[in-house]
Amino acid sequence: MNAGSPIVLSEASAAPVAQPSGLTRTQHAPPGGAVVGRGAMPPRPGRAQTTKRGRPDREPGLKRANFGHGPGLPTLLLLPQFLILVFFFFIPSLRALMQSVLLSDPFGNNVQFVWFDNFKALFANGEYRQSIVTTLWFTVAQNVITLAVGVVLAFATDRVVRARSVYRTVILLPYAIAPAIAGILWAFLFNPVVGPLAHMLHALGIGWDPNRNPSDALWLVIMAASWKHICYNYIFLAVGLLAVPASLMEAAAVDGAGPIRRFFLIALPMLGPTVFFLAVMNFIYGFFETFAIIDAVTHGGPAGATNILVYKVYVDGFVNLDLGSSAAQSVLLMSFALICTLLQFRYFDHKVNYGV
Amino acid sequence: MNRKTAFIAALFGVLAFAAPAQAARVEVQWWHAMSGVLGDRLNELVEKFNASQDKYTVVAVAKGNYDEVTNGVIAAYRAKRPPEMVQIAERGYMTMLLSGAIVPVQELMDQKGYKIDWPDFIKPVASFWSYKGRMSAMPFNSSTPIFWYNKEHFRKAGFDKPADTWQELEAQLYAIKAKGVSECGSVLPGDFYWSLLENYSAINNQPYGTLANGFDGLGTEFVYNKTKVVSQVARLKKWLDDGVLQIAGQGFSPEQLFTSGRCSTFVNSTASHGNIERNAKIEWGATFLPHENDVNPPLNSTIGGGAIWVLKGHTPERYDAVAAFLDFVAQPETQVWWHGATGYVPATNKAYGLARERGYYKDHPTREIAVLQLSRGTPSENSRGFRFGNFVQTMLAQRTEVEAVFTGQKQPQQAMDDAVKRGNEILRQFEKLNAGKDTEADGKSK
Repeated sequence: MNAGSPIVLSEASAAPVAQPSGLTRTQHAPPGGAVVGRGAMPPRPGRAQTTKRGRPDREPGLKRANFGHGPGLPTLLLLPQFLILVFFFFIPSLRALMQSVLLSDPFGNNVQFVWFDNFKALFANGEYRQSIVTTLWFTVAQNVITLAVGVVLAFATDRVVRARSVYRTVILLPYAIAPAIAGILWAFLFNPVVGPLAHMLHALGIGWDPNRNPSDALWLVIMAASWKHICYNYIFLAVGLLAVPASLMEAAAVDGAGPIRRFFLIALPMLGPTVFFLAVMNFIYGFFETFAIIDAVTHGGPAGATNILVYKVYVDGFVNLDLGSSAAQSVLLMSFALICTLLQFRYFDHKVNYGV
Repeated sequence: MNRKTAFIAALFGVLAFAAPAQAARVEVQWWHAMSGVLGDRLNELVEKFNASQDKYTVVAVAKGNYDEVTNGVIAAYRAKRPPEMVQIAERGYMTMLLSGAIVPVQELMDQKGYKIDWPDFIKPVASFWSYKGRMSAMPFNSSTPIFWYNKEHFRKAGFDKPADTWQELEAQLYAIKAKGVSECGSVLPGDFYWSLLENYSAINNQPYGTLANGFDGLGTEFVYNKTKVVSQVARLKKWLDDGVLQIAGQGFSPEQLFTSGRCSTFVNSTASHGNIERNAKIEWGATFLPHENDVNPPLNSTIGGGAIWVLKGHTPERYDAVAAFLDFVAQPETQVWWHGATGYVPATNKAYGLARERGYYKDHPTREIAVLQLSRGTPSENSRGFRFGNFVQTMLAQRTEVEAVFTGQKQPQQAMDDAVKRGNEILRQFEKLNAGKDTEADGKSK
């Protein structure tokens, strides 16, 4: 859209400034990863073009490090990461896969091979299906709220001049709070018996009671999880906004566009890669990292209303000691996350403007 | 340089002298779940044992709450490095018993030549922790729920004390609210399934499951959807709707709502004596749990809490240490001390007699309630205790269904039907996994 603008920074110079979007690019963009312009709708020609114009060809040595001869040093440098993956991802995943087809007592003295009984039992289980629906609600709502508030805050702090760093620090603070503590905080503030914020809601005539009202409970954990994650989104968006060329904004301002209009028509589209990256990360956060909050705020209740998949994996595995079912659930959860991420790439990636 | 060398030499000298003494003491580990005041008391107990003799050292390791201790011991066992002893909550009984990872306590004590007066253990305690008449784990912290109340609230509302039956108690709580004495008649305990459903069934002689609540076999099925439990759930729901009963919710403990004087009554374990004595700003009292007006006489309540399990895979010397420690735990003196220090019940009649003799209950009348309630009447099949496999899992399923009543999503009967159905599926899974184990364990213990 703005590819025609004469003052667009070249990609190479934009990359170091736009850290987050740069990150997005290296992590998620197709190999060689860059300028898939909005106009380049059929992705294949666009990508071919990219490779042709890719930086490594133009500026050898800028991206590709020179390790001398032989595979020794690169292997050595890769080893730590590889070992981490082996011990914290591949081996556990394999163990989970194996455990998911077993019925076993927790001590492992009594193990039966049951084929896919654990999976069958899950799909036949109403509670599990409810958990899937809850997880989708939870994750989507959390994603939307986190991004929306993050964008607004980033935009706002981008506009203030005085005490900007103070605002930034304050916004980033929740990130330093452990999820369990954050959860207890929210649980206390909104506790219908003693919580000050709950009392305010009551004074407004809202019959707030997350202990007895499932949707109140779900909202409470959505808010708590979002609050905890807004800062993460905010960092990326704030830096992303910094990378929007001032000249473009100024040009728009000269043309008579107000701040809101400039934001929606210029800044936001240019934040595309960042927003896309954050959307993926928020999904992953919602799927996997929110269990401490659920544990502290609701214990998955009332009546399973906030029993999201990852929390159910935890409870079935570590409280109920039903290892087979828990393993089957974690295998399914991983598949869901994978499918979601792939779908996001399939449908949104080529709509994102990676060029500046 | 010289000084350094001298220091190192001295250090080695000290080590050389210390080493024989150290090596003479056999060290064993005991993983437990006691925290706060209870954790301090437990450490004192272990220190007493270590100081009482010079052959063994018990190292008490706090591993978090009961769930965390269980997970810790499972992980350690799988890694072939289990502790010698572990404290496991009552709900984990069947899992531990049939795990193949434990040494039954009575077997160990017999083998090591300790004479423990097993029949002297208080009945509900003995029956809960024994299998086919032989103790599988050493009863350690046994509790039972009792009824706590705010004396001032009852006096202001014109009552001497809480009534004995649920029906009269209901009238009292409604009166307390109506007279504006307190907004909150009672607070729902976090473990209401234990006190208000399971113990309720025992006291009112209602069956919870078939085959004597699971004592007679793994084929047991839940039946509490056909008993007074359904109307009990309906009663709780009604109280909640009328604001007589409140849920503390997360982020705040029910106990605080009682000790701060907000709620007039509270059903909770006798083990909270320590906390309530320390935290309560109110004039509190305690009494027996209420019973239904058509049940006469009410039966005993059942226990909760934990016991010490001994794990397989250690050397004979270490088991010597374990046996010596367990013998120490079972001594009446130890029991009386632990009872007084924590509020848990003394596990044996001898210890209870000792406490009585010394006039302990004259100063601490409420501490006796739990013992009296536990040993009241003759236990029936419905009040001996509960022996269900995967009991944590069935309990959580039940709790979810009861919550569905509280949220208004289900009627009490339907919720209890669903809870029983889910619970029975979980029981069948346990039965399938442990098929044939029943007789196997039988043969082993004989």
